[in-house]
Amino acid sequence: MKTTLPPYVHLLRLPFFLFWFVSCDSFVEVDLPKSQLNNESVFETNATATAALTDIYAKIRDKGLLTGISSGLSNQLGNYTDELICYGNPANATYNFYNNILLASNSSVSDYWNTTYNQIYAANSILEGTANSTDLTEEHKKLLQGEALFIRALLHFYLVNLYGDVPYITQTDYKINSVVSRMPTEKVYEKIISDLEKAVLLLPETYTSSLRIRPNQLAARALLARVYLYNNSFAEASNEASALINQNAVYTLTQKTDDVFLLGSKETIWQLQSATATQNTKEGTTFIFVAGPPSLTSLTPALVHSFSSTDLRKTSWIKTVTKGTSTWYHAYKYKERLVSTASKEYSIVLRLGEQYLIRAEARAQQGDLIGAKEDLNIIRHRAGLSDTTAESKEEILDAVLQERKWEFFTEYGHRFFDLKRFDKLDSALSGIKAGWQTTDQLFPIPQTELSVNPNLRPQNPGY
Amino acid sequence: MNNFSFFMGGRALYCLISLGFLLSFSTVLAKNHSRQSNVLSQQHKVQGTVTDGTNPLPGVTISIKNKKNNPVISDYSGQFSINSSSYDTLVVSYIGFKTTLVPIQGRLVVDIVLSYDTTTLQEVRINAGYYSVKESERTGSIARITSKDIETQPVINLLATMQGRMAGVSITQTTGVPGGGFDIKIRGQNSLRTDANAPLYIIDGVPYSSDPIGYNQTASTYPTVTSPLNSINPDTIESIEVLKDADATAIYGSRGANGVVLITTKKGKAGKTSFTVNASSGAGTVTKFMKLMNTEQYLAMRRQAFVNDGLNTYGAADYDINGTWDQNRYTDWQKELLGGTSVLHDIQGTLSGGSEHTQFLLSGNYHQETTVFPGDFLYKKGGLQANLNHHSENNKFRVTFSAGYNSQNNDLPAFDLTSEARALPPNAPALYKPDGSLNWENNTWSNPLRNLYAKFESKTKDLIANTVLSYELATGLTLKSSFGYTDLSTIETRTAPSTVSNPELNVSSATSAIYFNTTNRSSWIAEPQLHYETKLRSGKLGVLLGSTFQNQTTTKLFESGSGFSSNSLIYNLAAASNVKVLLNDETLYKYQAFFGRVNYNYLERYILNLTARRDGSSRFGPGNQFANFGAVGAAWLFSKEDFLRNTSWLSFGKIRGSYGTTGNDQIGDYQFLNTYTTSTTSYSNTAGLQPTRLFNANFGWETNKKLELAMELGFLQDRIFTTAAWYQNRSSNQLTGVPLAGTTGFTVLNSNLDATVENTGFEFTLRTVNFNGANFNWTTSLNLTFARNILLRFPGLESSAYNQQYRIGEPLNIELRYQYKGINPQTGVYDFVDLNNDGIISFPDDKQIVTDLNPTYFGGLQNQLGYHNWKLDFLLQFVKQKNTTYPMGFAGQMSNQPARMVESWTTPGDNSTYQVYTTSANAGAITADYLYYQSDAFITDASYIRLKNIALSYEIPLSTKQTQCKIMLQGQNLLTFTKYEDGDPEFTSSGYLPPLKVLTAGIQLTF
Repeated sequence: MKTTLPPYVHLLRLPFFLFWFVSCDSFVEVDLPKSQLNNESVFETNATATAALTDIYAKIRDKGLLTGISSGLSNQLGNYTDELICYGNPANATYNFYNNILLASNSSVSDYWNTTYNQIYAANSILEGTANSTDLTEEHKKLLQGEALFIRALLHFYLVNLYGDVPYITQTDYKINSVVSRMPTEKVYEKIISDLEKAVLLLPETYTSSLRIRPNQLAARALLARVYLYNNSFAEASNEASALINQNAVYTLTQKTDDVFLLGSKETIWQLQSATATQNTKEGTTFIFVAGPPSLTSLTPALVHSFSSTDLRKTSWIKTVTKGTSTWYHAYKYKERLVSTASKEYSIVLRLGEQYLIRAEARAQQGDLIGAKEDLNIIRHRAGLSDTTAESKEEILDAVLQERKWEFFTEYGHRFFDLKRFDKLDSALSGIKAGWQTTDQLFPIPQTELSVNPNLRPQNPGY
Repeated sequence: MNNFSFFMGGRALYCLISLGFLLSFSTVLAKNHSRQSNVLSQQHKVQGTVTDGTNPLPGVTISIKNKKNNPVISDYSGQFSINSSSYDTLVVSYIGFKTTLVPIQGRLVVDIVLSYDTTTLQEVRINAGYYSVKESERTGSIARITSKDIETQPVINLLATMQGRMAGVSITQTTGVPGGGFDIKIRGQNSLRTDANAPLYIIDGVPYSSDPIGYNQTASTYPTVTSPLNSINPDTIESIEVLKDADATAIYGSRGANGVVLITTKKGKAGKTSFTVNASSGAGTVTKFMKLMNTEQYLAMRRQAFVNDGLNTYGAADYDINGTWDQNRYTDWQKELLGGTSVLHDIQGTLSGGSEHTQFLLSGNYHQETTVFPGDFLYKKGGLQANLNHHSENNKFRVTFSAGYNSQNNDLPAFDLTSEARALPPNAPALYKPDGSLNWENNTWSNPLRNLYAKFESKTKDLIANTVLSYELATGLTLKSSFGYTDLSTIETRTAPSTVSNPELNVSSATSAIYFNTTNRSSWIAEPQLHYETKLRSGKLGVLLGSTFQNQTTTKLFESGSGFSSNSLIYNLAAASNVKVLLNDETLYKYQAFFGRVNYNYLERYILNLTARRDGSSRFGPGNQFANFGAVGAAWLFSKEDFLRNTSWLSFGKIRGSYGTTGNDQIGDYQFLNTYTTSTTSYSNTAGLQPTRLFNANFGWETNKKLELAMELGFLQDRIFTTAAWYQNRSSNQLTGVPLAGTTGFTVLNSNLDATVENTGFEFTLRTVNFNGANFNWTTSLNLTFARNILLRFPGLESSAYNQQYRIGEPLNIELRYQYKGINPQTGVYDFVDLNNDGIISFPDDKQIVTDLNPTYFGGLQNQLGYHNWKLDFLLQFVKQKNTTYPMGFAGQMSNQPARMVESWTTPGDNSTYQVYTTSANAGAITADYLYYQSDAFITDASYIRLKNIALSYEIPLSTKQTQCKIMLQGQNLLTFTKYEDGDPEFTSSGYLPPLKVLTAGIQLTF
């Protein structure tokens, strides 16, 4: 018997109607949050694309390998080798560097790795964004791409020297980047050189900024000189260094050692601008202390005493702090610890002094001993020292290594890399560092990294 | 409506709804339906008081048997007066008590004592969110505590009130400082994302986001960033219901996967206006310290370390043993830095009353407590709660309005002193110089009290308001709509003043810094609903349809300022020479849903409950925003079947089961977008832009399938009542931040992972009424949970980023550890099993021993005793679990160690428990120590039984029933029994203050 449906049956139909209604609704669509910008729109204007690029410099200044704060290489590798003494406790990251007890799980080790690859990602994102952009002019694109390639080469250069064989990342696709394998060191150098050569072609000869805070073509060549030297390509290294040294209208060594690290120094090739108009360098904050005992680090007495008493660098780049009968020393290259009315110093990453010593070493290696001594003496004379007494190739190379120790202490781990290049890490450190082991010449690959990407195995020896 | 008994029942219904209950006693009255009183009667006014033997009972319904006149309700002091005839009989009924018939027999004063009726607890209506259900007829799994359980606890956090009281709900306190947080897991961890396992909180129908409101740069005192849940004031809560299974949670769809916590605030009660004041004060101290080395043991260790390392001279910085510090000094740093007493004061007042049609409640409270740290730090919390209920004469229109406003003001040291108190050498110098200033001992140590200059302050204000309007369109058909609004604002600051440094270092205020976090979150919700109830065949049909529109806006402003001309200007950002905006963001979360429920109850024996929800969330990209969820639940009340109806021993029997799906969208907002974000710094006078994330536009809902079977049995008029439930929840399509190699530029990628997590468990509750006499009663409740969490399926685990984190068939929070072998008697360092036999202990091949830190079982045992005017209530909480021992770094360095570390290796051939001391020169020992922390040897039994709560109260017998006075003594965490050696066994992250034991005394006055 047929009856009409009771009212609740109609009610039960309502859901299906409403489901349809809800699905079409745009209630749950949201606009972009106010702090974010679409990827494509970033590369529609030169201003936003430049902001994306220059942010990488800010990142390099503030964290990772090249920062001047205590977690950067300048401080940590100074402690890792024979430049600095650490006064921290085991909870302090520097303590692990000072005692040469880095472990694969060490957070500094993974921070260096992750932060650097993040900065490389940002550089690759610039390269891809500019390549796909239809709105940017060719001129702007060249500038942005040249700088991005410079950054990519610079960061991989430090990675390969710290970790050994490392992946060279050239695009942003995580599907590829998450399963990469380690690239042999010589291949990494080929990639670095190739990137820098491209950068040299893309970058303008003049600075786009008045303060040399963005690299130009010559900055790329300066880095190239160093890369060639590390790669034992001495003729090329000498050639690139000459390109800088010959530009004496732009670059000259300062007369006084006191002026080397000042803001307007003509020795500067590329420096990192401070975060604000009143801030000075993070190196100043990290290394300078006004009363003893130091709370973080001080220069080793051995380093201080290795200087000749007439060496101007001893008096102008090192400061003594005493209390009672105790004496401590700190690096005083950057004189400003805190803020000043206007910034007086920026962190100088590349400077002309290095180019002279690169050429001295490259010339010596090629047998041009006279030329090598000339370059070496230029640096010595500026420091108030007389000509080097080194004669043979070996002596000159030793003198260059020694000079680099005095010239570049607490600057971006030069000491560590030099000892490693000269194969003198063990002889220089075994006697004075109880924890030193030969295998410490490479950092461990971060443990988390090995676990998420087995292609990166095996771990470096000794870890 | 002209049916006499129904009329009476209807009136009573109204009264009880206003109390949050519902009771129908039409059957009770129906028996007497045909009997008509023909006794000649005269007008007669009867007065009296209703009590339970000791306490007056407000809200009791008193009516006249077989008469149509209005029933009355006892007032707050239990008093009533009713017009009757001299020989009428009073019908006295109240939820939880046996309905009693009292012949007046010509008396003018009739005092009534009601006796508890355990059976009627089955009649209590349970809040299930969009609907309520009679306890006996519910098809889902819902745990509940009420204000009676909350009132006995001297705690200020919502989650603290639930700890140990609910089966299937595991709660851990993460820090003992006021304003700190709790971890809650309802039936285990469902999501691989550890921060996506929070339940959904609903306060009076308004979702309350539990997403953190803090910032890691400001809330450095807590192990996790600040949770908003402290804003909820337990004093204002009438009941907390936790929805667990699919039947109960599927109606919450995408947000129900991790369970739902429903909070119902107190409502006004009809009757005489009453005023209640509660005041209490108390003290809290740390439950348990770690046993550390004394100076003699410590210095012996240090000297031995130098001997072991072959060092003849002490280093310049080895102040503890090189003669710089006094080697005869001894300070128990835990006692010195954490051994203080936290002083608590709490006061609250409630005004409640109203007429038959309109009731109101107004309450205010204030709480303050200090910390156990040295220094003056104070946490203050105050709030107001208002509630108004009204219904029209004809009962068709109803409105409920509730609003709560809470303000918190927290002042704490910026860093927890716990880890420093444990690590400081016991002969470290004195804290103060004789002149009272901080002693820096010639800059040879960092005085721990420097931390007191760095402060964390937070001010949080929180408003929650909701209105529910309902109108009965036709018999059984009600249109209802709830509107809710929440508004939370918090300002947190952390200072890093130059005064944390030794003044000798000439660190000026130019280095002082401050961090600001200003977070605001507001949301609104509108939920129009249609409820329909009717009789159908021999059963009842209930239908509910509704929809949700929710919008939540969060704004965050993080700033830092540094460089001040004076430290007294540090809170003034305008005085900073360098101001940085670290984040300035506004995020929007929009959510929309349609839901429905169909419930059919046949003969009050067979119940079927169908729920469904279609959800849309702005957290997913276009095309992935919507999904459907639903569940079916059923129950069979077999005790009502004819063959059992007359059984004397079995008073209640029910089998219920449910199956359904829920979801999870806790992935954060905007994660599907490919964007650049403004960076916090500028370079070359340009504010930077940085890539936000690796993006994946295609991730969607995580789904959770829940299955439950349960049996509920009551014996001997429910004096013994027990439930046993078995559940199995499977979460698949895991929505997670998959760890990626750092070479990708980032370390995570949000995506759906084809993995399944299973939580199974067995929950058991037992309540026995051991004694139920006029003067003495004793009730015992037990809850017990056995839970197991496993990773059921994970295709490609071996080659995935998770291959060293998870194992198929094992829980999600396992840790893979090295296998400890013992001490190498020759070298004196810890030795481990070389699983892959390659000659070295290496990651990952040798780090494969699975250790499970999930509790094996947990529960609570509660006893409630009453004797005349005395009441005693105590809860024992127990957890069977393992945890890590406290990490202290390698022994021998300038840092204190547990006292047990004296058993160390010194000479070859030694058979000792702990390895060789080293100052840091023994690289092998340092590596071995590190491996030891990552080995199975580092895991220990951390089970405990704790007297979680004890409350004793005494009602002072007063001649007047108008005024009541009760004095109370309450304790929390007073006793802990455990084998765990390294402090309190309840912690999730090392180095933070453990939960405190608290004892308070208070008084309650009611007028």
